[in-house]
Amino acid sequence: MFKWKKLGRVFNPTKVTGREWLKEFAQAPATLIFENFIRVYFSCRSYPDANGQYVSYSSFVDLNRSNLFEIIDIGNKPILDLGGLGNFDEFGIYPVSVIRNENDIFAYYGGWTRCESVPFNVAIGMAKSSDNGVSFKKMGNGPVLSYTVDEPFILSEPKIRKFNGIFYLWYVAGKKWKIVNGQAKPVYKIRCASSNDGVSWKKINRDLIQTRIEEDEVQASPDVFFCNGKYHMFFCYQEKNNGYRIGYAFSEDLEYWERDDSKAGIEVYDMISYPHIFELDEKIYMFYLDNNVGQYGFGLAELVGHLE
Amino acid sequence: MKWIKLGKIFDPTEFKLANNCVQFAKSPQALVFDNYVRIYFSTIETDVTGKYISHIAYVDFEKNFKKIIRISDKTVVPIGKLGCFDEHGIFPINPLRYKDQIWGYTSGWSRRVSVSVDTSIGLAISNDGGDTFQKIGDGPILTSSLQEPCLIVDAFVKVYDNMFHMWYVFGKSWKIFTPSIPPDRTYKIGHAVSKDGVNWEKEEAKQIITDKLNVYESQALPTVVKIDNRYQMFFCYRQSSDFRTNKNRGYRMGYAFSDDLNNWTRDDEQVGIDVSKSGWDSEMMCYPHVFKCDEKVYMLYNGNEFGRYGFGLAVLEQ
Repeated sequence: MFKWKKLGRVFNPTKVTGREWLKEFAQAPATLIFENFIRVYFSCRSYPDANGQYVSYSSFVDLNRSNLFEIIDIGNKPILDLGGLGNFDEFGIYPVSVIRNENDIFAYYGGWTRCESVPFNVAIGMAKSSDNGVSFKKMGNGPVLSYTVDEPFILSEPKIRKFNGIFYLWYVAGKKWKIVNGQAKPVYKIRCASSNDGVSWKKINRDLIQTRIEEDEVQASPDVFFCNGKYHMFFCYQEKNNGYRIGYAFSEDLEYWERDDSKAGIEVYDMISYPHIFELDEKIYMFYLDNNVGQYGFGLAELVGHLE
Repeated sequence: MKWIKLGKIFDPTEFKLANNCVQFAKSPQALVFDNYVRIYFSTIETDVTGKYISHIAYVDFEKNFKKIIRISDKTVVPIGKLGCFDEHGIFPINPLRYKDQIWGYTSGWSRRVSVSVDTSIGLAISNDGGDTFQKIGDGPILTSSLQEPCLIVDAFVKVYDNMFHMWYVFGKSWKIFTPSIPPDRTYKIGHAVSKDGVNWEKEEAKQIITDKLNVYESQALPTVVKIDNRYQMFFCYRQSSDFRTNKNRGYRMGYAFSDDLNNWTRDDEQVGIDVSKSGWDSEMMCYPHVFKCDEKVYMLYNGNEFGRYGFGLAVLEQ
């Protein structure tokens, strides 16, 4: 058994000054560990435009490795520019997930476009950094993972991992758009693809996590961690008309997963979301978003007990 | 090469069509049966916003292409669900006989906010001889990728030596050419191969037909036929901006040939067909479809106004 002990908020984007593109939200924290600091990528927003619409950018904050509540540096600008006219990432780059590959860092990101009948669509892009993750260059103007016969829209929330020499990309794929109170709302589920080089991907093409609440349960932000001979997945899910909860599943082969939310180690009344698990100096931590899906930043929790 | 024009053979405004369609018969594409030829085309419904939605329809001709046998009176391929790639229309469809089925490679359209549309290629299969088609899924079989950022459209599929070949169009960019006019797109012809017709491998942004006009030449609707052991491609091309009503910038027919399906030589001098001095195809010629029927080679195509008043036919002089 294990529990997550909350240590408090680490980063509050509304306190940051001098960055027009960073006014609110610090979503989807993703870590890259350096010798003396850890770099946490996140996605943020400028203030909404006249129509109330947001554009998302992604950047990073550096934390002291020996005191994760001490901010050393904040990115001076977004790590990637928005896409050009008509491209898939013209209206937002959110979220970002990173991994080291030899001397480079690969980033996978959700690129947002705006549509007429539904508010948006998302596909997954790829970029590469050769300066330790300060700036990235897109691998192309189009997506690296896009729509297919059984994944017709909304490919988002990429999380990149490497196990046994193979890249795995967990993400969500849209199933349908529902009209709820006159507004189009997407239903999406957790999926996975694998790759030898990080560029050419083979989709598993199946929903990985059993639906627990109702058929249209929304599942999001899968984060996979290997520990004690098992793969552990933390994700979030949305009940009908309710906020996000943290879910948990485990697997021995990365293909078949058993869901058991009772083992997530988080009290059900905690409205936290977007878990990111990482290991640092022999401890296991989770970054998570606050009650307002990260509007006022993200916090840190520490694993107490055994992840097994 | 010389094409003999047989004139306009179908005018959609003279018939009752399904899905509230009243004008346009775009991108005619043939499926040859023993006793007749079915010609699929895209016709247009105007929705409540005044924008167009393309629907697939067909007309069956006797093999003299003079007498119409029947016209589809119901939906042939349903357009996509909310948020899907083909929600706002299907244009065009490329029919292919495969085993006992008819496979239809569809181009699906969905509307965007900063630019007018995006497109992807889908697959729908008919088990009733091409009267109706069912999609293999809600999503596309070919869509944008790292080096092909947008506008995957206009599939034309043939099986040569047990390999599926698809020629299609990929978008290069959107650009505002004139400040007061919405952005226009530039696209080029590409090639993909497949063992099963479903899973495709693109040559990823390899433009197989050289530009004739300039880098902003848009190339569309490739159609390939094998004649005298040589692969012959017809397509249409135009300037990327001010092409809709300016006769000098609108669609014309282009031609290229290949002996190995890899390397293509463009040679528009040989195309053997051009706009007429006057009449229905005097301002533009577009959306060619070349097919063989009873030892003859025919070309279906659209003329002025992208086929608002129908399509015509030409036969290759041999």
